[in-house]
Amino acid sequence: MAERIRMANDRIVEINSLVKRFGELTALDEVSFNVNKGEIFGLIGPNAAGKTTTLRILATLLLPTSGRVRILGYDVVEEASKVRRLISYLAEDAGTYRNLTGYEYLSIVARIYFRSKRDIEEAVEEAVRISGLGDRIMDKMKTYSKGMKRRIQVARALMTRPKIAILDEPTAGLDVFHAQHVRDLIKRHISNGGSIILSSHNMLEVEHLCTRLAFIHKGRIITEGEPEEIKAIYGASNLEEAFLEVLKR
Amino acid sequence: MRGLRPLVEKEVKDLLRDPRIYIGLIIPIIMFPIIGFAISMTTSQAMEAAREKITVTIIDEDRTEASERFISLLSDSGLNVTVSAKSLDEAIKSADKLGSKALLVIHRGFEESLKRFGRVNIEIYSVIRSMGFKSMGVQAAVSNVLKRTSEVLSSTLISRVAPDVDPEVLRNPLNVTEYSVVKGKIIHAPSGSIFGQLMIGHGVLVPMILFVLSMTVTQIAATATAVENEEKTLETLLTFPVSRYDILLAKLLGSSVVAALGGVIFAAGFVLYFQTCFSSIGLEFGVGGLLTELPPPPSLSYAILIVSLILAILFVTSLGVVMGALSSDVRIASSLLSVIIIPVLLPSLLIVYGSVDSLPLALQILVYAMPTSYPMIMAKEIILTPMPMQVIYGIPYSAALTLIVLYAASKILTPEKLLTLQYKIKLRRIKKERRWELE
Repeated sequence: MAERIRMANDRIVEINSLVKRFGELTALDEVSFNVNKGEIFGLIGPNAAGKTTTLRILATLLLPTSGRVRILGYDVVEEASKVRRLISYLAEDAGTYRNLTGYEYLSIVARIYFRSKRDIEEAVEEAVRISGLGDRIMDKMKTYSKGMKRRIQVARALMTRPKIAILDEPTAGLDVFHAQHVRDLIKRHISNGGSIILSSHNMLEVEHLCTRLAFIHKGRIITEGEPEEIKAIYGASNLEEAFLEVLKR
Repeated sequence: MRGLRPLVEKEVKDLLRDPRIYIGLIIPIIMFPIIGFAISMTTSQAMEAAREKITVTIIDEDRTEASERFISLLSDSGLNVTVSAKSLDEAIKSADKLGSKALLVIHRGFEESLKRFGRVNIEIYSVIRSMGFKSMGVQAAVSNVLKRTSEVLSSTLISRVAPDVDPEVLRNPLNVTEYSVVKGKIIHAPSGSIFGQLMIGHGVLVPMILFVLSMTVTQIAATATAVENEEKTLETLLTFPVSRYDILLAKLLGSSVVAALGGVIFAAGFVLYFQTCFSSIGLEFGVGGLLTELPPPPSLSYAILIVSLILAILFVTSLGVVMGALSSDVRIASSLLSVIIIPVLLPSLLIVYGSVDSLPLALQILVYAMPTSYPMIMAKEIILTPMPMQVIYGIPYSAALTLIVLYAASKILTPEKLLTLQYKIKLRRIKKERRWELE
């Protein structure tokens, strides 16, 4: 218990020697890294590198083939139901319920996470505010644009005040204004005491957003550290150059 | 269980606002009364036609006092009579011009035959101008007038032979009053009416509603779950702090609530159909009217009916959820459902249209293997056999089978399994489509 409290104070995610195989395909090969409290941790890599698989295991959706994954000391396989109370997950292609209004959706999710009427109302109010949808929150979600759908999902993921928000490509497909809005929400979540692990193709975004990151390629972590640190090691002016340099070596 | 209520609310709202669902629910309430109205309107037309003055052309070859009296009897009975002296072919042509509905030929020897108490021959040529109910009504009206005239002639002949005897008694010496005895109670109605009412009520109406309810609930559950896959909402749902059983139960309850609503609407539509269909043609007791005369089944029978119905609905809803979960989109769910639904619901149709005992053994096994059969058997038998043994034994069996399907559904409701199974089903479908293309 004491160890859990200690871990809860600083280490939010702990991944050790994680392996995931789909039949003969090895999606993750001995992946290990940690995410600490207050961090925005970026998992960076090309398509099919293993980013989404890692995040899905963290979100208790997939089972590891071997290795150990803990969130605030709770094992994601053996204590999945406890883990689900601590996290929130935003899938890359997360859809919305076409026939519900944005408000109804947020209200239903809030009622799942919170008990008291006051907490529910506060959470919904906060989510409505951070979604920035104004009066459109009362419209059915089938009328929303892609950007609006993404904003409602980000609001849903952050309104539950998770210890760690797992965001898979949070700004994918969004225009520059919507992407900026989502990035602001992520920073605000950190300032409110939360932690975030996210995946992205967008190296520029990660460079400005993440406090620490890991390059992942073909299911393996190639390097890990703070953006400035990684750039300095590989003598690169930006993360994109650093990533290409890592691959060359 | 804390998350169950909002999840059920989500299911019900999302389903009821989905045009694919609500249009399907609304159609029966509109469609059935329209069909009933169409049938009653055509029937009324036929009856109206029967009341109109119908023109008939008569060729009187006998030209006697008796034949003339016969013609005037026809005229008194409401026919507009035109006597023609032409040949048959010419009379047919002029009948057509005059708008006559029929041509009657009184052959020579009419009077003579009557005097000898022999049978007289009348030929009737119906002029058919359309195939509608109205034409049918006109021809029936002409036949009725002839029948009535024949009765008048018969009475005249009987009075001549036996002036003190009521001709009606001679024609029908047996005066039959029919009663039916059901479970020891005498009902003042012929057995045919009882069978008719039972057939319409418990034999067709209730099993049909149960059949449609089962179909609807399976379809709704499969669509609701497949839509979660298609719209990519299931993945998010599965990361919420609620148990897999709560998610499953919410799907079952949500689909069942919407399907029950559909069932009520369908039942209302079906009853309206029967009422509009039969009210104009003299169904004196209305739908189920006679059944109120019968001794009511004990409340335990209704309890058994409800339990068997709930189990059947849970069973088909679970199947729907399994089918939907295995499908990456609604199209695949519909294909899977069309394969599985036939063996599940075929027994129900066998029950509606026949007796289970008279079926071949293999079909009897199929009927008793499906939990959907038991509420139908119960609904059909409830009036005459309040506690059918097969239903009593069927309830624990249905409960066990439903639990197995529920357990299987909860087990496959994990992305790990779903993704693998969906991939396999999709791959099989693509292979099948390619094979068809090659062929």
